[in-house]
Parts: sequence; C-alpha cells; structure tokens
Amino acid sequence: MGTENPNPRNYPLRPAATPFASPQSSTPFASPQSSTPFASQQSSTPFASQQSSTPFLSSGPVVGSEAPVFRPGPPSASNFPAPPFSGGPLVGTEAPAFRLPPSSRSSEGVRPPPPPSSGGPPTSGFQSFPNPPMPSAGQVPPPQISHTGRPAFAPPTRPPPDQHFFSAPRPSSQPTSPPTGTSYAAGRGIYPGYANMQLNSVSQDPPMQPASFQLQQGGYGPRLQSASFPLQQGGYAPRAPPTSLLAQQRGYAPIPPVSTPSGIYPGNQFQQHGIAPPVAAQQGLAEDFSSLSLGSIPGSFDAGLDNTALPRPLDGDVEPKCFADMYEMNCKSRFLRLTTSGIPNSQSLASRWHLPMGAVVCPLAETPPGEEVPIVNFATGIIRCRRCRTYVNPYVAFTDNGRKWRCNICSLLNDVPSDYFAQVDASGRRVDLDQRPELIKGSVEFIAPAEYMVRPPMPPLYFFLIDVSISAVKSGMLEVMAQTIRSCLDNLPGSTRTQIGFITYDSTIHFYNMKSSLPQPQMMVISDLDDVFVPLPDDLLVNLSESRSVVEAFLDSLPSMFQDNMNVESAFGPALKAAFLVMSQLGGKLLIFQNTLPSLGAGRLKLRGDDIRIYGTDKEHTIRLPEDSFYKQMAADFTKYQIAVNVYAFSDKYTDIASLGTLAKYTGGQVYYYPNFQASIHKDKLKHELSRDLTRETAWEAVMRIRCGKGVRFTSYHGNFMLRSTDLLALPAVDCDKAYAAQLSLEETLLTTPTVYFQVALLYTSSSGERRIRVHTAAAPVVADLGEMYRLADTGAIISLLSRLAIEKTLSSKLEEARNAIQLRIVKALREYRNLYAVQHRLSGRMIYPESLKFLPLYGLALCKSLPLRGGYSDVQLDERSAAAYTMMALPVKSLLKLLYPNLVRVDEYLVKVSLLRSCFLCWSMIWYVSYLLPMSSQTEEFDTKKRLPLTVESLDTRGLYIFDDGFRFVVWFGKALSPDITKNLVGEDFATDFSKVSLSQRDNYVSRKIMEILNQYRKSDPSYFQLCHLVRQGDQPREGFFLLTSLVEDQTGGANGYADWMSLLYRQVQQNA
Amino acid sequence: MVKLTMIARAIDGLPLVEGLDDGRDVQDTEFYKQQVKALFKNLARGQNEPSRMSIETGPYIFHYIIEERVCYLTMCDRAYPKKLAFQYLEDLKNEFERVYGNQIETAARPYAFIKFDTFIQKTKKMYQDTTTQRNISKLNDELYEVHQIMTRNVQEVLGVGEKLDQVSQMSSRLTSESRMYADRAKDLNRQALIKKWAPVAVVLGVVFLLLYVRNRFW
Repeated sequence: MGTENPNPRNYPLRPAATPFASPQSSTPFASPQSSTPFASQQSSTPFASQQSSTPFLSSGPVVGSEAPVFRPGPPSASNFPAPPFSGGPLVGTEAPAFRLPPSSRSSEGVRPPPPPSSGGPPTSGFQSFPNPPMPSAGQVPPPQISHTGRPAFAPPTRPPPDQHFFSAPRPSSQPTSPPTGTSYAAGRGIYPGYANMQLNSVSQDPPMQPASFQLQQGGYGPRLQSASFPLQQGGYAPRAPPTSLLAQQRGYAPIPPVSTPSGIYPGNQFQQHGIAPPVAAQQGLAEDFSSLSLGSIPGSFDAGLDNTALPRPLDGDVEPKCFADMYEMNCKSRFLRLTTSGIPNSQSLASRWHLPMGAVVCPLAETPPGEEVPIVNFATGIIRCRRCRTYVNPYVAFTDNGRKWRCNICSLLNDVPSDYFAQVDASGRRVDLDQRPELIKGSVEFIAPAEYMVRPPMPPLYFFLIDVSISAVKSGMLEVMAQTIRSCLDNLPGSTRTQIGFITYDSTIHFYNMKSSLPQPQMMVISDLDDVFVPLPDDLLVNLSESRSVVEAFLDSLPSMFQDNMNVESAFGPALKAAFLVMSQLGGKLLIFQNTLPSLGAGRLKLRGDDIRIYGTDKEHTIRLPEDSFYKQMAADFTKYQIAVNVYAFSDKYTDIASLGTLAKYTGGQVYYYPNFQASIHKDKLKHELSRDLTRETAWEAVMRIRCGKGVRFTSYHGNFMLRSTDLLALPAVDCDKAYAAQLSLEETLLTTPTVYFQVALLYTSSSGERRIRVHTAAAPVVADLGEMYRLADTGAIISLLSRLAIEKTLSSKLEEARNAIQLRIVKALREYRNLYAVQHRLSGRMIYPESLKFLPLYGLALCKSLPLRGGYSDVQLDERSAAAYTMMALPVKSLLKLLYPNLVRVDEYLVKVSLLRSCFLCWSMIWYVSYLLPMSSQTEEFDTKKRLPLTVESLDTRGLYIFDDGFRFVVWFGKALSPDITKNLVGEDFATDFSKVSLSQRDNYVSRKIMEILNQYRKSDPSYFQLCHLVRQGDQPREGFFLLTSLVEDQTGGANGYADWMSLLYRQVQQNA
Repeated sequence: MVKLTMIARAIDGLPLVEGLDDGRDVQDTEFYKQQVKALFKNLARGQNEPSRMSIETGPYIFHYIIEERVCYLTMCDRAYPKKLAFQYLEDLKNEFERVYGNQIETAARPYAFIKFDTFIQKTKKMYQDTTTQRNISKLNDELYEVHQIMTRNVQEVLGVGEKLDQVSQMSSRLTSESRMYADRAKDLNRQALIKKWAPVAVVLGVVFLLLYVRNRFW
C-alpha cells in the first residue's frame, strides 16, 4: 500500500526540489518507494537524506502546521545550539518509528555525536544533510557504527532525551524500550503494536498518513528551496524540526508519534523489500525493527490482565504483504502461502523455529475478475529444465545472449529451443518479455502436449450413489437431493460431454438403464451382495445431453418410487463396489448420499459407538480411525482410476463418519455432514452445497507436485489426497475449495543460495476437455537470523499447517495430547523469541511476541476449542468431530481462520436506524430530505458489516441482536431485552415460541428484509458452504450454549481456558525454564 | 466389432479425437494404442502409403482411411466384416469433415476435438451388431471396392520404416567406409612409390654430390 500511495505524490517533488531536495526529500522517498534497484545507493545516500528528511517529515505533520516549518529562521536561531539536540535524537527516534531499518540505524549513528559534544555536532550533522556531497561522508560511518556497536552505543545515547519522550505516549512500555542495544528497535517495534492494539482507528488508515506526509513535504520542499540555497538551508532546515519536535515532545506528542510509525511503516518496510536481493545483507538490521512488537500483558500476571488490550484478528485474515511485495513476480498468496517467507539457512536455525515450516497450497483458488491466470500454449513442447523438470518461470535467467537459460531451482544450464529463442538486451531481459506471460507472472497455465496424457482427456462425469432406505425417505433428503440435481443439470460443467449415472441401494442394489432411446429409465435390481456384477455393459453411465429426458424422468420419479420403502438396511459396501465397476473405465466424481450405518455386505460397520470409557485411554484414537480396511482399500482403488468421492452423510444416529470419510480423504474429496437432517430445516443448506459441488469449476484426473530449490525438501503432505510417489499427489478431482499443506525441511546443513524457489505444478484436465498444467512459482529469501524468520512469518499458514498436524495427531493419540502439542509449539516459539530479545524483556511481567504472530496464541486457543480437538467425550459427538476434522483438513487458509475466529456483528442498532430512516422516507413532506439521507443509509450498511466484535460473552448486550458467522452457519442471537418490535418483525407474531422450530425467512417488513439482505451479503462473500441460520434467544439453554456459547473462543468454556487465562498460562510457561 | 477408434492429423500425427471408453474388453489396450501411435508417426513421415489400408495385428485388425490429411483409424476383430468397418470410418469422416473440416489445420493441442467422441460412441453402437437389418443391407451394397484394399501385417508396416532406416544407415556406412578405403589406397600408393624410387634418388644424389665436389676442388 505504501508503494502505490507515495509514488505519484513523490514524483512532483523531484523536479521541484533541485539543490536541496535532491538529497533530502526526493531521494530517500523516491528510492524506497519506487523500489528501484539501487541497493548501494539506498544504503548510502538515502540514509543521510532520510535522516534529514525525517525531521522535516515528523515536524511537518506532527506539529500539524507548516507554520514552524515555514518560518524556520527566527525561532530556530534562538533554539539552535541546545534544542537541535533534543531535536536530533528525537528525530532519530521518530525515524525509527518509520521502522526503516537503514534510517534508524543511521539515525542512531548520528545520534551518538550529540551526547558527547552537545554544541558542535548538531551543525555538522545537519549540514551534512542538505549538502549533497557530504552525505556520503556523513552516512558511511553511521551504518558501520550501528553494525558493530549498536548495542553498546545506543543505550547511553538514548536514555536522556528519548526516554521521557517515549514515555509520554505509553508509560507501560517504558521499561522495555530503553534497556539495551536493540532497544531502539524495540522501542520502535512497540509503537506499531501499540498502535494496533489501542489505536485501532489510527492504524487502520495508514495509507492516509504517508500521503499527508508526502503532501506536506511536497509543499515544504519547494518552499524551502525557493527560499534559499542548500548550504543556507542546512542551517535553517534543522532548526525547524527541532522546534516543532520540542513542541511535540512536551505537548500533545503521544498520539502523533504513534500514528506516524504505523502510518509510515509499511512504505518503508516495502522499500526494504523492494530492493529485494540485498535483503540478506540487511536482514540483520531489519529484524530489530519490524519483528519485535511488545504486546503488553501489563503488570503482574493475571491480576491486571487487560482484556481489551489483547490482540484480536477483527479484520479477518491479513496476509503478510511484505512477502508479496518483496518478489513481485511471485504467485498471489491465495495460491501459495509459506508459514514463514524467510527460509532458515542452516539446520540449527531451523531447529530453533519451533513452529511448523512449510507451505499451504490452494492451486485453483478463485481469482477475482481481471486477475485470471494467463494461458500459454507452446507449439513445440513446454520449456522445462532437463534435470529437475522445473517449468520455465519468471525467475529463470537467460544467458549466453539468450541461447541458454539457467534453471532457478537446480541451476542447470539448459538450451533454449530455437523457436523460443529471443535476444537478450543489456540488462539480461529478453526482448519479447511482454509477450511471454510465463516469464512475468508467477501463475500461468500451460496447454499440455500429448506427452502429458496417458489417455484422451476424460469428460466430466458425475455418478450418484444414493441411499433410499427408510430414513432417507423420511427425512426428506431424497426429495431435496433429486430436485437439486435436476435443477443443476443445465449447469454441470463440460457442456455436451458430461456423463451421468445413478445407483440406489437399500438392502439391494438398483441400477438404472438410461439409454437415450428409452422413454423411462429401466431399473435393475441385484440382490447378490457377495459377488456384485454390472447387469448391463453400457447405458448405466450415459451422456447427459443425449439422455437428458430420461435422466429428468428418473429424478422426478425418484422420491415417489421409494416413498413407501420400509427397508432399514444399507448395503453400502457392495453398492460402492458396483459404482466402482461402472465408473472405473472413465473415472470422475462419485457422490455418496448415506443415511444410516452400512449394515450389509463388505464394508459393514459396527455400532462401535462413542464409548465414554475409552476416552483418556491409549485406545482413544481408534474410534477416530476407519474401522474396516475395506474403506482404505476402496479409496486406493478409486484414486487409481481417477474417481473422487464426496460423502454426504445425513443420519441422526451414529454413522461412523470416521470410516466413511476415509473414502473422501484419499480420493481428494470432501465430507458434508448434516446431523439429524430435516428437509424443512436443512433444505437450503443441502441445496446450496450440493449445487456448488456439482457446478463449480473442477479439475479432473489431476496430479500435483511441489518442487523446491536445492537444500530444502518437502517431507510430508497434509490434506485430502493420495500420495502416488514420494512427492506426487494424486487428485482425482480438485476445485477452488481445496487446499493442501506440506511441511518443509532442510536437507543440507547450510544453504548458500540467497533465495529459495518453490514451484507448484498441477497437471489436470479441465471440464472442457483440455489438458493443462497450472504452475505457481514463488521465491523466498534465505535468512541467517531467527528474528527475520519471525518477521516474515504468516500466522494464517502456520495455523493451517498446525491444525492439520493436530488433527492427524488425534488419529494416533489422545485429544489432550494433540492440544498439548499445539500449546507446546506456541510456547516454544514464544520462548525462543523471548530469548532473542531477552534483555529488555526480563524487567517486567510482559509477554513479547513478534508482530507477525500476534494472533497466533488466539488462533491456537481457538484451534484447541475447534470441533475436532475440543474437550472430551461429552463435548462433541464423535461423528461431528470426524466430519469437522475431514473438512478442516481441506479448508483454504481464509476459511479456516474464519472458522476458528468467527465474525460476531451487532445488527439491532443498524436495523433500528434504517427503519427510522425508512419512516422518514415515507414522509412525503420530507421528500427533499430523502435525497440527503439515502446515501447515508448505504454508508451505514457498509460500516455495519465490517465492525466485528471480540468473541466473548461480554460483547453481547442484552438489548442487542447479533449475527455470528463462522463460514458454515449463522447464529442470530436475540438479547433478553431486545425490543420486541424487532423480534416480531423478524420471526412473526409467535415470537415467544421455541426458536428451534422457527426459521428466519423474508417477511414483509423493512427490518426483516434488511437482515436478510445482510445475511445474503455474508453468504455471497463466502460461497463455499451455505450458512444455515440458527436463531437463539438469550438464556434459552441448552440451545444457546450449544450454538453460540461454546463457540465464543475467548470465554472459559468447560475445561478450556479463556483468552486471558490462556495468555497468562502461555506467559508462565514461556517464563519457565527460559 | 469396433474396439478402438482414433482420429489423427496425418501430417504430424497429432491425435485429434479418441473414442473414450474404447478398449474396455481388449486385453492389452495400451499395447495396441502404442502401435496405433507408431503407425501415425509412420504416416506422418510421409511414406506414401495408400489412402486405405488394413493392417493385421494379433487377433485384431486395423482399418484406416486418409482423407484431407486426416487419418481415421479403427481396430476391429478379425471376423468383423471389412466392408462395415470402412463404412463406419466413412461415416466418421463425413461427420468430422462437416463439423471440424476447417479447423483441422489450426488445431494446436492434442485432442482438440475430443467433443467428437460422443458422435463416435453413437456411431459405434450402430455398427456393433453385424446382424441388424441396417448393417446387412450395407453389407450387400457395393458402395466401393473393399477388396482392392491392401491387407498387410503390422510388423511389416511398422518394420518398413525400420528397414529403410537400416538400409540408409548401411549405405551411409558403406559410403564413408569406401571413402576411407580410397584415402588409404592413395596413401599406400604414395608409400609404394617412395619405396620404389627412394634408393635410386639417394644414389643419384650421392653421384651428383661427388661430381659437384670434384668440379669445385679439382
């Protein structure tokens, strides 16, 4: 954000400020933001200039008026000798507030002079800024100083002037900031954190601030310039800032400084990354600033724990921007996220990073319009590395005048085929770069030539395996499902090639002949369950467009066909085999609708039940594992023949999802679970999710491989797929709602390359029958420093990987152990971080964590309270647990974070407001007013949906109406003292009745319409699942507890900790044996 | 009965369509598909094959026709009437040319016209049973002379290329060897010449030297 914003404003500056501004204002800003490749310059000139510019900057906006700046002469003259100093350092402290590593360092470097000789240095120091030639002399030393003697230098210099300055804004952080060498950094680090926590409003609109700075500076620069010559200015300029700073310091300083850092920070940080390659060299410095943030848990442990100060991800998932900006040609983070973008350079460093290291890949993530992945067709074979088979990507280097290219992953020199040859210009760029998306974009799709096909591309194929036993009919599932499929027939992908087929089963298996020439489908019943065979060679699987009328006739009659079926058995296993026989020729997608526990034939499952006695014993995990090896065997066969299985389970009783889900797990499928399905309630949910499953763009018969540079290796993969060889994931069907995680480990003891590259390649058949390869490439710097790893960490990816690891752990050990493992990892990570910054921290009872991981503890807590890991026997039904576990194994990062920390929004005020507005609206006499108010109402709406509340009971006001949204369901919570009008408007006259029987539907009044609008808006923004709306009244136990209270992750529920307790627990553990 | 159906561009062997659930009851589908691909490659190399041909392979027989630079190929049981098989290919050809005729040259990716396979499936079913009235009447038609279509063995056909390769290799080896031989022979000749005249030359040289010395000092 910083990059875009300042730039335009920046440019006007340059021409205007010739003598003075060139070093002072324009260079520093221009170079960082435009991210030009002047690494060297950046380190030399900009430093000094920044230094000089920062004073202006800070003074300008902070004091709020150009006045002091404008007439620098008179006041400064008097101030000059003494104040500049206080000003100088101050400036220094503010510059760091910008968090610009170099500048801060240099400022430190400059700062030292003042204390020793209070009189002289200021002038020299200041003169150096405006004087273009001087800076180099002035600047070169500072970095060096900071390099070597940072710790030693800083403390003495800073305390006198700064400390009290610092203390003004945030007394609590005072002890930490001064202590030691890195302390400046520390101090600076605090700012942003602080800003984020307590001044949310301020931190939320950072883009504004740089803008204003720039503007003011812009104004300032020219003026100054017009006033005088560089040298003269040298005298003047510094004076201005001091005065202003002084004022600031004594007066209302606190807030501005806080805002400044947060505002400027991004820009500067980017600057550092914009100049990506040298990052390695600068890392050591950068780490201090950005990564350390003191999230204070004030005072003694539990007593003074300030609940409001705890970090909360109320803005949802914030992707780490720095990574994307560092390497512009990387694929977008929606496709690939690394848990930390800083790859450790040695094994010892990696072992100190206690969080999982790896990547979360969502190869087919939905792209917003306009950002579609470009398609590339090489006429004669795809360009790949001979040795490691890497696809050509933006990071390959062309050498030998374009005749060779060096693979960025294995650094082998490959020949460029003659028809791909292009001249290389002086800077090493190919001249045809603009026409080659694969050399510019991190994500591309190649059209695969014939070598990538073992068989002609398969058509989209949907096969339905439907349980028609009594419970399926009674619950209404059959009818809803048949209707939904029928309504989706037009939208199935693949146009005329799509194939479709059905099998139904209870205690027997029913096949349907759907030959296009038949008027009605023919049903064939097979009751031999031991030796299943297919009664008809063809026509069980038919082309949809040809047999359309037969298929429709079948779906229309399906519910009535079985409406009197009293059969309670379920020959699931044999039916599965039958489906396999029919599908094995082509592969495709198998949708299973299962209502009861499989009771006949192979794959019969026992009611092994959710035995309370088994919890806490070593056998606990066995109930979460598939009971019968039949399922795993079937899943392996399915994958081999490119069949993906989606399981829809509906039973109110135990159906052993743990076993059924295995089918989905190893075939790249998905588990949908509707406990206690009632058509009247769950109809919409099933409808939406089934039709999304059927109509979303799907990639067929896919395989995926993640390649990475020398020295690192992906060791384990987590998600729903089958591993075909050590690193090849077989995915019979993939779509945008599936993500896969992989863990990374270091192979060599020492990485020598400055950058590690990752390449995700997904070879698939699109629904239109094209074979394609989707390639995502990303680069990540290798770092030598733990702090840098923390700074580049991505909480979302970490949590995603952590959750998958924890869920897998529940399959081999107790829930308790899985939870402890999460906790242990977080504690270890925080402890390591604490040791990194041990000195300043030991003084007071506070917990430190990197800015990038500020939500990690909270998400960790939420993870421990999530369905698969929560509590013990009585907390969650076993089936729900398993279903949730299968779902979470496949969720993309964003949905997972939303599930872990759902949105809670208050709506009653808004509803009342709009209804009031509406009454105004109806007043004819006030028609003129309407035009004025209408825009306002739309604004309030925007605001309303964004304002999320912390997930704790305290957020719930008894007079309020709240919507809770975790991506899978809505809970609408009615406070006790909520105005009855609203309730009446929403649920009708009988608002006193049991809410479990009432569903929210559109009523003919404004409030109801409005709330439906909000809900639909939410649904539209997250279409992967349908959020069924549950109404809950305050105090209406156990409903309230079940739906909402257990989901308020910050509260203490059952045996689990509340957020504050959790933090102090973590804190104590971090302190221990530290 | 039709087992496999494939359509490819004759100039470069790029597969355009393939019948989908082909080869369900064939044992080594992959083996035969490989053969077909090798055949296409042969054709693409421009060895001027006749535009209609039958090729025997194991228990099956390939029939193909080449029209408008597209090769339509099917694999049937040996017992399946040749006439019907070619009739089937003719049907495919007519429909394919009608629908995709103008796009054949520009097709860039393999299986670009995979949608055509639905038509293949449909047509195939019509030809499945040789005893239907429709097919019998077709058999009786004398649409064109299938008897004139050559039948060869697949080894032969695929072997032709190999043999040619061998021959050309051999001939090139021969030429290079003969050149070497010529060089050698020349060399030998020269050596023989030297051997023959060297003593004479030495004697003459000595004589002239003596003469020269005598003239000089005496």
